Amino acid sequence: MITSFTPTIRERVQRIETMPAIPAVFLPLMKLLGNSAQEVALDEVVRLVSYDNAIAAQCLRVAGSPLFGLAQAPKSIKAAVLTLGLRRVETILLTCSLGQAFAAKKWVLDPAVFWRHSLGCAMVCRRFSEKLATTDPEEAYLAGLLHDLGFMVNCLAFPEEFTAAMERACQEGIPLDEAERATMGFTHGETGQALAEKWKLADDVIEVIAHHHAIELSQKAKPLVALVHLSDLLCRMRGLGYGYYERHKVDLIADPAWAILLQEHRDLEGMDLVRFTFELDEAIEEIHALVSTVFGPPVHA
Amino acid sequence: MTILTPTVVPSVPTKGVPAVDPVYRQIRDLVYKVSGMYKAEEKLYLLADGCERRMKHLKTRNPRDYWDQLTAQPSRDGELRQLLNEITIGETCLFRSQPQLDALRKVILPEIVAEKTKQITKRLRIWSAGCSTGEESYTLAMNMLEESESLLKGWTVEIVATDLNDRSIETAKAGIYGDYALRSTTDYFKRKYFSTFDEKKLQVRPEVKKLITFSRLNLQDDSKMLFMKGMDLVFCCNVLIYFDGASKSKVINHFFSNLNFGGYFFLGTSESLMKLNEQFHLVHFPGTIAYWKPSLSSGKL
Repeated sequence: MITSFTPTIRERVQRIETMPAIPAVFLPLMKLLGNSAQEVALDEVVRLVSYDNAIAAQCLRVAGSPLFGLAQAPKSIKAAVLTLGLRRVETILLTCSLGQAFAAKKWVLDPAVFWRHSLGCAMVCRRFSEKLATTDPEEAYLAGLLHDLGFMVNCLAFPEEFTAAMERACQEGIPLDEAERATMGFTHGETGQALAEKWKLADDVIEVIAHHHAIELSQKAKPLVALVHLSDLLCRMRGLGYGYYERHKVDLIADPAWAILLQEHRDLEGMDLVRFTFELDEAIEEIHALVSTVFGPPVHA
Repeated sequence: MTILTPTVVPSVPTKGVPAVDPVYRQIRDLVYKVSGMYKAEEKLYLLADGCERRMKHLKTRNPRDYWDQLTAQPSRDGELRQLLNEITIGETCLFRSQPQLDALRKVILPEIVAEKTKQITKRLRIWSAGCSTGEESYTLAMNMLEESESLLKGWTVEIVATDLNDRSIETAKAGIYGDYALRSTTDYFKRKYFSTFDEKKLQVRPEVKKLITFSRLNLQDDSKMLFMKGMDLVFCCNVLIYFDGASKSKVINHFFSNLNFGGYFFLGTSESLMKLNEQFHLVHFPGTIAYWKPSLSSGKL
C-alpha cells in the first residue's frame, strides 16, 4: 500500500516550495527532550526560549496567565521558565516553533483543535508509558506530540483533497485516516513520513509518524508505534479528537496494538484501563487550559 | 550552572477548587478499591464534602481520624456505605450522562439494528437495573421515542425498570419531577414529553410511560435474575458500588448471561467493573465507556 503511493507523495512534498524548513530551535530542542530532566541546564532552556521573540512572548504570556495564579506576571524569561517548569516550556517551544513553520491561513481546521489533540496524545503517551516499567516516558511524549505531523503537511501540500477528506470524516463520523484513504488514497502517515525524513528526525519518531495507523508496517519501533496508536485512540475517545463525533466503539484490549505492546511489556496485563481513563480526564483539563492560553486570545494579566 | 529537576514542574491548580487534605486521596483510592467508584481529582472536593458531612455527624475531629473509622473494624463496612450514600446523593437526574446517550443513539442502536435486522420480530429490550425513582428509565424511553420514526421505525421497544425499594418504584411510576431532577433536560424534551403537574413540577406523558414496566426486584435473588433474559442493553448506575466483591461478581455474571450477544452493559459514569468479569469487553465511545458482550459474528467470543 505504502509503496505505490510513497514516491509521488514524496515528490510532491519535496517539490512544494512553501514546505517549511525545520524550525531553528527544533533539533536542539529534540536533543534536550532526549535528556533526562536532571541533565538539562536552565541556561540552555532560557537560551532556546530567547532565540525567538514570538516564542519568548508566548512563554511569558502563558507563565503570566491565570492558569498559574501568580500575583505578578514574571518579568524575565528565566522567571517564566522557572514558573512553567522545564517540560511545559519544552512543549510550548515545540508547538510554537511548529506552529510558526506552518502558516495559519492554510489550516484546514482550527490549530487549537489540532494542538489539543497532539498535546493530548503526548500526555496520554507519557502517562501510558509511565505505567510500563521498561519504556521511556519522554520519548513517548515526543512521539505523541509529533505523530500527526502529516496533518500539517496535508494542509500545505494537498489542501483541497485534505479538506474533502476532513469533511467526509465529519459527515460520516469515521476516523480521519479512513476518510483520507477513501478520498485521497493515502493518509497523513505517508505525508508526515516524507517531511520527517526530509527533516531527518530520529528513526523511531519517523516510524511513529508513518505507521501509527498501520502498526504492522513498522519495522524497528513496533512497541512505540503501538503505544502511540493506542494513546491516539484513547485521547480521541476522551474529548481530544479532531472536533467531531466518531461513530464507532474502540476496543483497546482487542486492538492488535495491545497484543504487540503486551509482548514487550508484560506489566500491561495488570493495568486498570478504566481507572487510567478516569485519571486521564484530570490531565485533560490541563491540556485545555494550556492550549487556550497558548492559542487563545491574548491574556492580559 | 543551575539545574532544573522535574520537581520544578508545578501542577496546575484548577481554578475555583480549593486544595484538599492529601488523606482524601487515600480515601478516594480506598473507595475505588472497595466499590469501583472513582472520584477524579477535579471532583475530589465532592468526596471531601461527603466526608466532612459524615465527620460532622460522627463528631470526628479530623480527616485522619475519619480514615481510621473507614479502615478499622467494626465500623468500616457500615461507614463506607454511609459515605457512598453521601457522595452519590443528589446525583440522580434525567439526562444525567449525555455521552452515554450519544453513544447509545449514534453508535449502539445503529449497530444493534443492523445486527438484528434479519430477525422477524424487531424488538429491543432495555433493562434499567436499580432504577430508583425512574429518572434514567424515562430518559431512555424518551430517547428511544426520538428514534421511533427513523432508526427504530417498526420496532417494539420495551424498558424493564427494576428496583429493590417499593417506595422508589411508586415514585418512579408517578413520573413527577421538579426543577432539580429536570436540570439537564432541554426545553425540547420538556415540551414534547411532559405535561404540567403543578406550578413547580412536570409529569411524564403517558406515551413515554407506556414503554416502561416498573417492578420490584432484588438483584441478589438468583432465581428471579434467571428470568430477565433477552436484554439488548442493561443500565446499572451507582448500584453495584454497595455490593461486596462476591455478590457484585455474581450479579454481573447474571447481567452478562441475560444480555443478548452484541448487547451492552453500562455502569455509572465514574464507576468501574474492575476485573470482575473477563468475558465482557471494555469499550470506549466518545466521552464514555461501556461493557460489550461480543456478537456471534464478531468472532471475539
